[in-house]
Amino acid sequence: MKDIIRAKCLISSDVEALINQQIKKEAHSSAIYLSMASWCNRNGYDFSADYFFKQSEEERMHQLKFYKYVLDMGGTAISPEITNIKIEYNSFREVFEEALDQEISVTQSIKNIAARCHKEQDYVTLEFLNWFFREQREEEYKARRALELFDVIGEEGTGRWQIDKHVGQINYSAEA
Amino acid sequence: MQQTLPIPSAVFTEVFSTHNGAIYQSDSENCWYIDFAGKLARFDYRNLLKLKKAVYQIDIEDLLLNSTKSADLEIIFICACDHCYVLSLIQIIKLKELLQGTFTMLELNHIIYDRLYRIII
Repeated sequence: MKDIIRAKCLISSDVEALINQQIKKEAHSSAIYLSMASWCNRNGYDFSADYFFKQSEEERMHQLKFYKYVLDMGGTAISPEITNIKIEYNSFREVFEEALDQEISVTQSIKNIAARCHKEQDYVTLEFLNWFFREQREEEYKARRALELFDVIGEEGTGRWQIDKHVGQINYSAEA
Repeated sequence: MQQTLPIPSAVFTEVFSTHNGAIYQSDSENCWYIDFAGKLARFDYRNLLKLKKAVYQIDIEDLLLNSTKSADLEIIFICACDHCYVLSLIQIIKLKELLQGTFTMLELNHIIYDRLYRIII
């Protein structure tokens, strides 16, 4: 009897389901960043707004990368429905705190997929995920650094204006 | 709508069967034939997965506990597939059992293939 399922698809249905969840997560992240960009722009933090627009683009790119991977491996990629995106934030700092939370959540979720791949000995998907781990190192660094600015610059006086100016300059250039 | 086809036994391999039905694989056609609820239906790879998803998604416990007067019938309709099933709760449980057994056997077949032909030991 032929092994038809394996001939049609490289990844298991469990890994496929996990990646589809991740696709939704990345799309959700992208939408949240877009909402953060809107809040920052409305409140006069233009550099931060640009920063979040860029982050939103990146998350969208991640989503597509996962999406294409599922399709290339013979699976079914599911275009996600995104709802319940927050519009208002209580403070400038809260925006960045939530941005870091978001990145941590993405990292943890990708780690969970990798754990499943280890269990199934799916080294192909593991190798694919490596790119994302490297990316998450940068994403978390940037989000953490942005929050640090609130501590080192301080929010008093023109503090927030200074923070906003420096957010756009955050850069991660560690040797891989 | 409901077609019944004769089974040319030589071409089919039984994947899994219960008292209530059976699933056969056709290597030449790369598809499966499901003999259940009085008909024989052909499913290709995509449709078999869609059927699995549709059946697994039914909340059997909820249907069992449900005390409303509506009939406990579920219509399993699969997009872009010629077949649909109208099943009672008991039949759903039986179909699920059949599918679970089938996917276990297909997984086993995959492992056997790996061990016999693909992996150099």
